[in-house]
Amino acid sequence: MMSKAMLTALLLWFTCVLGAVDQVAPLSAATTASAPSAELTVDQAVALFNPDIFALREGTKKPVHLITDAFFTPASDIAREVSHNTLFNTLVFLPFLILPQVLLVYIIFRFRKREDGRKPATFRGNHMLEIVWTAIPILALVVVSVPVWHLLWKMELPPKDQDKALTIEVRGKSFAWDYNYFNDGIAIGQDVTGAQEPLIIEKGRVVILNITSNDVNHAWWVPSFGVKKDAIIGRYTNTWFTPDTLGVFKGQCAELCGVGHGIMFISSVVVEPKQYQLWADLQHRRAATTKTWNAIRPGGDAQPAELTEAVNAYLAKDNSEVARWALRFWIANHLESICRKPPKGFDGITIRAAVAPIRDRLDHALAAL
Amino acid sequence: MTQLTPQRYTGVMDWLTTVDHKKIGLMYIWFVLFMAIVGGALAGAIRVQLATPGAVWESVQAAQLAGTAMPYSLFSENRDLYNQMVTMHASVMIFFVLIPGFVGFANYIVPLMIGARDMTFPKMNAFGFWLLIPSATLMMASFFVQGGAAASGWTAYPPLSLVGAGSNPGQDMWILGVHLAGMSTILASINFIVTIANMRAPGMTWGKLPLFVWATFFTSVIQLTATPVLAAAVTMLLMDRNFGTTFTVASRGGDPVLYQHIFWTYSHPAVYIMILPGFGAISHIVAAFSHKKVFGYTGMVWAIGAITVLGFTVWAHHMFSVGMPTYLQAWFMYASLAIAVPTGIKVFSWLATMWGGTIRFTVPMLFACGFISMFVFSGIGGLILAMVPTDIQLTDTYFVVGHFHLAMVGGSVMLLFSMCYFWWPKMTGRTLNEGTGKIVFWLMLIGIILAFMPMHLSGMLGMARRIPVYFADFIALNHITTVGYVLTFVASIIFIAQLLLSYRRPKITSNDPWGINDVQESFEWATTCPPPVYNFEVVPPIPVASQTGNH
Repeated sequence: MMSKAMLTALLLWFTCVLGAVDQVAPLSAATTASAPSAELTVDQAVALFNPDIFALREGTKKPVHLITDAFFTPASDIAREVSHNTLFNTLVFLPFLILPQVLLVYIIFRFRKREDGRKPATFRGNHMLEIVWTAIPILALVVVSVPVWHLLWKMELPPKDQDKALTIEVRGKSFAWDYNYFNDGIAIGQDVTGAQEPLIIEKGRVVILNITSNDVNHAWWVPSFGVKKDAIIGRYTNTWFTPDTLGVFKGQCAELCGVGHGIMFISSVVVEPKQYQLWADLQHRRAATTKTWNAIRPGGDAQPAELTEAVNAYLAKDNSEVARWALRFWIANHLESICRKPPKGFDGITIRAAVAPIRDRLDHALAAL
Repeated sequence: MTQLTPQRYTGVMDWLTTVDHKKIGLMYIWFVLFMAIVGGALAGAIRVQLATPGAVWESVQAAQLAGTAMPYSLFSENRDLYNQMVTMHASVMIFFVLIPGFVGFANYIVPLMIGARDMTFPKMNAFGFWLLIPSATLMMASFFVQGGAAASGWTAYPPLSLVGAGSNPGQDMWILGVHLAGMSTILASINFIVTIANMRAPGMTWGKLPLFVWATFFTSVIQLTATPVLAAAVTMLLMDRNFGTTFTVASRGGDPVLYQHIFWTYSHPAVYIMILPGFGAISHIVAAFSHKKVFGYTGMVWAIGAITVLGFTVWAHHMFSVGMPTYLQAWFMYASLAIAVPTGIKVFSWLATMWGGTIRFTVPMLFACGFISMFVFSGIGGLILAMVPTDIQLTDTYFVVGHFHLAMVGGSVMLLFSMCYFWWPKMTGRTLNEGTGKIVFWLMLIGIILAFMPMHLSGMLGMARRIPVYFADFIALNHITTVGYVLTFVASIIFIAQLLLSYRRPKITSNDPWGINDVQESFEWATTCPPPVYNFEVVPPIPVASQTGNH
C-alpha cells in the first residue's frame, strides 16, 4: 500500500532526524524559572490547550464534549442572565401560547354542527372583550420589557472591571479566526496544519472581544458564552462576557460566509488563571521553537545537523527548564495537530502510532539535557 | 343596435393574450403551484444532504482519521452548491410562491368581492403576471452559468454577494430576477389600490369592504412603498459588482451594513406581504363555516392597518447581532413586541367568530383551524426572538429557521391551501373531493409539526443555519425534520394532483356551493361558478348584510 510505504519513509526520517537530538551539547545556564511540569505533563498541557472538539467517545461514538448552548448549559455571566431572562419571558408568554390552543380545541368540540337544530349565534362584536384582549397583551409586554431593558444595557455597555479585562481582537477571515491578545501581545490563529486554534481564556476574568473581518461578513459565536457578534470589514463590533466554567466550548461562524461557512468552527477553552499564565508563557516562546520545529517537521527538508543547530540555538538563549518544557510542548502540540489532520496518504491512527515513540525519544533527550 | 363582440383567440392563445383578471388569477395560481414544486425540490435537496451520514461532522472526522471511505453525502464536498440550494430555495419560495400566490387569489377574488367587472388596468395586470416568467427563468437559469447560481443567501449580504463579480453572473442574474419580480409586484399593487379605491359597486363603502379586500389593500400599500426599497438595495449590489461603485465596499468608503438596513427595510414588511392577505381571507372562511358574521370587523381592519404601519418600523430586529447603538436595539425590540398586540386581536377575533357558531369542518375550515394553531406557535416564537438578549443567541440558528417556516408554511401556505379549497369551486366551477382534501390537510399538519418544531430545539441547542454539516448532537432532530418534509411534500403533490383532476369532475350549477351567502358580505357568491367574463350581468345588489350593522 502506498500509505504504508510513505509511513515507513516518514518513520525512518523521523528516527534519523531525532537521532541528532542526542548530540545536542548540554549548556550550563542556571535554571531559575519554576518548573511548569510540576503542574502539568506535556501531554496534559497539549490536551488542555489544544483540545480535539470532534473527538468521539470510544465505543459509543458519541461526541466527547457535551453539547454546549446558552440556554441549558450557560458558561458565562452573560449566558446565565440571558438564560434566566429567556425563561422569564417564555413563562410570561406561555399563557398566550396555550390559551388560544385550548380555546380552539374547546370551540372545535363545543360548537361543531350537530343535527340538534341549534341556531348559530348572531353577535358581531363585544367592545369589552376587545378592550380586554388588547389590554392584557400590552400588560404582558410591559412586564417583559423592564428586565430585558436592564440586561440589554448590561450587555451593550463596557463591563465594570474592564481594566483587568482580557482584551482580544477577533479577526474573521474565510474560513478561520485570528485572535490578537492586546494585554499579552499574543497572536494566534491557525496551527501548523491550518486548523483553527482554540481561544484560551481565564475563568473569572472579563473577556472583551473587538471583532472585525478581513473579507466577507462572519459572526463570532460560542453559544455557552451567550455572545454572538457579526464580524464586518471596516468596523469593529464589541462584546464581552466573563467565563465562569472550566472546559471546552464549541461554536461556529454564524453568518453565511461562503463555501467554508459550514466548517468555520470555533473552540474556546476556559482555564484556571495559573494555566492561562503558563499558556501565555508558552505562546511567547512559540516563535523561538519554530526553527526547531521546521527542522523536525514531517516533509521538511532539514538535515539532522540543522536540528542540532536549531536546538542549540534555542537553548543558547534560554536553557531554563521552562524553555525546554516549552520546546517539548510545542513539538508535541504540533505533532498532535498533525495526527488530527494527517497529511495526504496517511490516516490518523497509523500516524499517531508512528509519532508516539519518536516523541517519547525527543522528550527523553530534552529532559536529559 | 349591433352588439360589438371583440375578436378573441381560443385555446392557448386565449390564455396567452388574456387581460381578464380571472384568467390571470388562475395563471398566477398555476405558476405558483409549479414554482412551489421547484422550491420544494430545492428544499428536498437540502433535507437529503442533512439526512445523510456525511452531514455529521464527527463521522466525517472519524472516517478521515480511520482512513476509511467518507460517509455518503450530497453536498459535503460541494458546499458551494449547497449554498446555492439554500439561496434559491428561499428566493423561489418568497418571490415566486408566497408573494404571487396571494396576488393570484386577490386578482381573481377582489374584483368579484367589490362587484367590479375587472381590474382598473387589465393590460397592466397581464403584464405584471408575464413579468414573472422571465424573472423566474432568469433565476433558475443561473444554475447553469459559470459559477452557478447566487450562493450568498436570499439576503445577499455584501461583501459575500460581491464575490465573483465580473466572472460569475449568477448573482447578477439573481439581482435582475428580483428586479423583474419586484416590478411585477409594484404593478399589481398599483392596480389593486386603484381598483379598490375606484371600482367598488354602489353601496360598497369603505366601511363595508370585505376583510380580504381590506387586507389586499393594505398589502398593496406595503408592496408599493417597500418594493422600490428592495430595488434600491439590489441595484447597489448590481452597481458595485459591475460598474465600480462603492456603496458597500468598505475599503473604498462604502458600508456593508448600509445594505443590510436597506434590504430589511423592504424585507421585514415583505413578510406581511406574504401573510396579510391570508389574514383577510381566513376571516371569510372562519365566518362562512361557523355560519356567523365576522366578529369585530372594525377592530380587524384597524389591526391589519396597525400591522402594516408597525411592520415598517421593526426591520433591524433581523440584525441585532450587527452591532447597533443600544437605543436603536431597544426601539426595534419594543416595536417588534408591539406587533403582537394587533396580531393577538386578530387571533382572538377569529376564535370569537367561531364561538357560538355551527361549525362545519370542511377542508378549508380544517386548514383555517390548523393555521390558527400553527400561527400562534410561530407568533410566540417571534416574541421570544424579539427580545434582544435572547435574539443574540438565536439569530442565525435553526430557531429562526423554525420560526419563520412555521409562520410561512404553517401560516401562509396553510392559508393558501385553505383559500384554494374555499374558492376553487368559484374559480373553476369544479368542487374538490373532501376526503382527499382531508388527507392533504392531516399530512400537511403533521408534516409541518414534525418539520419545524424540532428546528426550534436544535436552534436553542446551538445549530447554526445555512450549514451543510452539523455536530452529531443534532442528528435525531434533523431526521425528524426530514420525515416532516417528506409528509408536506407528499401532501403538496396530492393537492396539485387533486386540482388537476378536478377539471374532469362535473361542473357545478349553484352560485353558492358552500351554502354561505347569507353570512358573507361580499359579492363573489352572487355570480355563477365560474363567473362570466363580465363577472356580473347587472350591478350587484348591496351585500346581503352590512359589515358593521348589528343584525
